[in-house]
Amino acid sequence: MRGAYLAGIAALSAVAVAAAAGIVYGEATDRWYLGGSLVGVLLIAYAGIVLLLRKAGLIGPRKAER
Amino acid sequence: MSEPRIVGFVCDWSVDLRPLLDGGRLRDLPAVRIIRVPCSGFVRPAWLEEALNRGAAGVFVTGCPYGDCLNREGNFLMRDRIDQLQRRLQRRKIDPARVAMLAYGLHDGRAFVDAVRAFVERVGSLPAPAARPARPAVAQPAGAPEGEGT
Amino acid sequence: MSEPEVRPSRYGRVMTALLRATLRVDVAINRIVPSDYNPLYYTGGLANLFLLVLVLSGIFLFFYYEASLEGAFASVRYLTQTVPYGGLLRGVHRYAADAFLVAILLHLFRNWFTDRYLFSRDNPWISGMILLLFAGLIGFTGYQLVWDERGQVLTALFVRILRSLPGVGPAVADLFLGGPGVSDGTLVRVLFLHIGPASALYLLLWWHYLRLRHPKIWPPAAWVLFCVGLVFLLAGLIPVGAEAIPPAAPAARPTRFALDVFFLWPFWLLNWLPPAGVAVLGAVVFTAGLAIPYLGRRESPQALGVRHAGVAQVIDGNCTGCELCYYDCPYNAIIMVPSPRPGLTKAAANRTLLAVVVESRCVECGICIGACPFEALELPALLERDVLAQVAEAVRA
Repeated sequence: MRGAYLAGIAALSAVAVAAAAGIVYGEATDRWYLGGSLVGVLLIAYAGIVLLLRKAGLIGPRKAER
Repeated sequence: MSEPRIVGFVCDWSVDLRPLLDGGRLRDLPAVRIIRVPCSGFVRPAWLEEALNRGAAGVFVTGCPYGDCLNREGNFLMRDRIDQLQRRLQRRKIDPARVAMLAYGLHDGRAFVDAVRAFVERVGSLPAPAARPARPAVAQPAGAPEGEGT
Repeated sequence: MSEPEVRPSRYGRVMTALLRATLRVDVAINRIVPSDYNPLYYTGGLANLFLLVLVLSGIFLFFYYEASLEGAFASVRYLTQTVPYGGLLRGVHRYAADAFLVAILLHLFRNWFTDRYLFSRDNPWISGMILLLFAGLIGFTGYQLVWDERGQVLTALFVRILRSLPGVGPAVADLFLGGPGVSDGTLVRVLFLHIGPASALYLLLWWHYLRLRHPKIWPPAAWVLFCVGLVFLLAGLIPVGAEAIPPAAPAARPTRFALDVFFLWPFWLLNWLPPAGVAVLGAVVFTAGLAIPYLGRRESPQALGVRHAGVAQVIDGNCTGCELCYYDCPYNAIIMVPSPRPGLTKAAANRTLLAVVVESRCVECGICIGACPFEALELPALLERDVLAQVAEAVRA
């Protein structure tokens, strides 16, 4: 199960890197809506990474809730 | 030696006890007696110790799932108090595994009963406790008899 | 303890069914995410997050907005088409507003269905209803500010609703418009009605948090990332300017346009109801909402059982002023005062502080009883000796 989570983290990281490249491209070519959508994709990918890290046990509950 | 008694303090907002109870005890585990409380945070650690001193083999507190306590923090506070109680019990040579904190919500009846069953088995496999300390855990009113069980 | 035989009212049965359904959703969500990431445990925090997004994007929009009949639409068009990422942030602002209201409604319904308004928790409920009202007003004025044909029609319809109020109607309408008809002054007032209440929201939030210790005002990081990301994604995929509603003009005769259901539902109802009817309906719904903590009782006092054991009472003689109850009470219902006289027990004889329960804030949860090591607190209907008697009975061989 842990392997599946780590694979998911790797996949989402790749998506995030691609999105970051796309943001730079969007800024360079003045395609603001493309850049903006990819900012959204990047943040959602980060959210997925945090969730998978939690499910894989690599990060724990918040300090107030430990 | 009579069968081991387990006492459970269950928050009235947490797991739905109506289908599980048969009088004051769990239908599936008759050795477990349930005491209803308004919040898991209402339970004084002294009562848990008193239950053990009076002969209970194990005692647990059940609150709502972490994050969903109706009173917001009761289950976290109780979990911390039980952690501290377990350290105190260790100093007094009582096995800290005899005290447990559980967290189950309204619909978690099955999971709750399974967790209690696992707790009962765990407690049953522990070695019998040493002679009870003479000093009661809770202050007694002046002149009151020591109560049953001593 | 035997079960009370009182049969719950129909309202009680409906609310209990809603409570069970709400918690069943939790069970489903907790299978996918860890329970401390469950967004339904942080609905207030989600609303607060979207409010921050709205404030930040709103400040950006404010820099470019011109509050005059001629300049409003032109400034919005300039922002959307010429300013880099202007149209994107306009979309962020609009979608965050819808998400804000969705989060508020989730918060409202969850706290209603799970009985989190009982006893002294009516105070956050009342402030919450007023927050909802302000949020609705702010959203509506936001649609007016664009001053396209939709904004023009919304203004006319709103004035019609105001005029239908008995007695004060025409005066209030003139106050809103800044005169007998729409003018530059109208948009200035609408801009004030957009930003002033938005700032007042933080003041109302202070009231909303007042009785809570450790209010959960921010969701977990994963949800912060997800929600901000979702708003940006929507703003990028569905640009706001794409609706192509023409600017307002005195001679314009608009007939139909898309409505944001969250903020503009009263105007949708004008399709069927007269303006006075919409005003009455709004007043009735709002008043009913305010009444929920007082008139809505899912369970009778008997059915509540140990959950309604009376407000906590301090046993003055035993209190040592250790402050543990003060730190543990989730509702700030215990305050420490300088002790007017020494306590009775040996431990309490040298105290400097005394705990006092503020009964109007106590929700009868009993957490203070659990915190006190000195037996200086009791719930009147569930005394310590009652609990110990139950323990003794439970352990009896």
